[in-house]
Amino acid sequence: MFNDIICDHFMNPRNIGELTDADYVIEISNPICGDTVHMYLKLNQEVISDVAYRAYGCSTSIATASIVSEKIVGMSKTEISSITRSNVVEWLGELEPSQLHCVDIALNILNQCANPTKKKFEQKEFLIEGEGAF
Amino acid sequence: MNLSTQLKELGLSPLNTLVGSAHNLYKMPFDTVNEYKGSIIADNFHYHYENNEFYRDLCKKKDVRPEDVKGFDDLTKIPLIPVQTFKQCDSHLLMTSKLNEVEFEMRSTGTSGIPSVSRRDRLTMDSAFDSVVTTYREFFKLSRGMGLFLFPPTEEMPEMGMVKALNVFAGLLDGSVNLVKKITFNPEKAVEVLQSWDGKHTRHIVGPPFLVYRLIKYCMDRNIKLNLEKNSFIITLGGWKRFTGEEIPRAEFNELCHEYLGVQSYNVRDMYGLVEANMLAVECHKQEKHIPPWVHVSMRNPHNVLEEVEYGERGVIAIYDPTSISYPGFILTEDVGYLRKDTSCECGRNGQTLVYISRMPGVEVGCCAINLEKFIEEKEKGMAIKGGI
Repeated sequence: MFNDIICDHFMNPRNIGELTDADYVIEISNPICGDTVHMYLKLNQEVISDVAYRAYGCSTSIATASIVSEKIVGMSKTEISSITRSNVVEWLGELEPSQLHCVDIALNILNQCANPTKKKFEQKEFLIEGEGAF
Repeated sequence: MNLSTQLKELGLSPLNTLVGSAHNLYKMPFDTVNEYKGSIIADNFHYHYENNEFYRDLCKKKDVRPEDVKGFDDLTKIPLIPVQTFKQCDSHLLMTSKLNEVEFEMRSTGTSGIPSVSRRDRLTMDSAFDSVVTTYREFFKLSRGMGLFLFPPTEEMPEMGMVKALNVFAGLLDGSVNLVKKITFNPEKAVEVLQSWDGKHTRHIVGPPFLVYRLIKYCMDRNIKLNLEKNSFIITLGGWKRFTGEEIPRAEFNELCHEYLGVQSYNVRDMYGLVEANMLAVECHKQEKHIPPWVHVSMRNPHNVLEEVEYGERGVIAIYDPTSISYPGFILTEDVGYLRKDTSCECGRNGQTLVYISRMPGVEVGCCAINLEKFIEEKEKGMAIKGGI
């Protein structure tokens, strides 16, 4: 079900974590399936000098965040914008149909990395259980 | 020599023997079943201790060694994994199996949008299906009839735990129709489908409480009274709390099922489960949720979860599920409930029966159902704006 590249990056994730001094943050989320990537970027001039991320969801999407994080370090924004779908397909290796949405996750991350605008993550509200249980 | 050792010497799987003997186990004395499941759960603990570095380290930190867990009396020593660990971005650490052995990923997404993902290998999937099918057969004896499925088809949400578990009913019935498509529920169509089966099939309704409630509300508003068959079931799974925080009252729900769908309350059956466990606690005709006899539930003191509370006292639900091979199925949930003091149910079954109360105070309210409801409502609002209403 999972190719060797995905297995390797899922079990041994690269760059996992947060950057406290990030210049930009990137957020990818699918509200229905829940695949979520929070990425932190540090830029030196126009080049990605450091990256970290936290990914949540299916194994392939988590591995995808790791793969992309490894590829983009040292790349300029212009270089990132020239990455194609076929480049991403090659990075992720052979995927099953149910995993192909991760190509789009990678492309979404890359698209935002090439044009980062967000400085911090937005707070999301969600329902919290009240005090009645005990 | 304990049961597990004896069966293994005969070349049999102790776990599969228990799951396959569910009906007999429900009739056996409580202590006998505890002894059986205790040895199976202890075996499963030893397996994870030997094969899962993360879990072994956790056990060492808690000073628990394999020789400390021999059977039922030692189960509470088994270190529990807080359920929120399945949401963390380093959840790969939970894996006892390797990712290339994983066959199926199942998820539940709460109101925060961050999913809880559990990863199952072949053996875990075998046991999960055996466990669910055996439980459904034990409590519903379904092999015929038509199912009105008030949840999305699996091809639309293939990994959603609630959908996967409820869709197992499709294989037991003569046919089924999913009335939630593309995140839209059409109650008018649901009524049409039910009426088209009238006099031809025994009709069953399966889905989360909020969608059954919506169907009933639709009938109430139009004074439609359906009269399903004597043996029809209304089977629910998923939270009773709506994403708005409002709770659907169970007693009223039962009465409305009777009044508008013609189903007696003893055939309105709720189930409790979580995506990280392979079990469902299903209600009998006395509306008591029975824990499968191969699973052990322990209630924990919310102020000190290492401490077990007595039967009848409220606590945090902890589950010891020996059917999980790909990760340790020893899970501390975020749910509050209690176990009935009387372990002999009026339905004739023995064993643990669980009363679910709510989520833990202060934790995210979330399950597959609440998320689905939120999306349906958001989509309907969007459609209304588009249509200029």
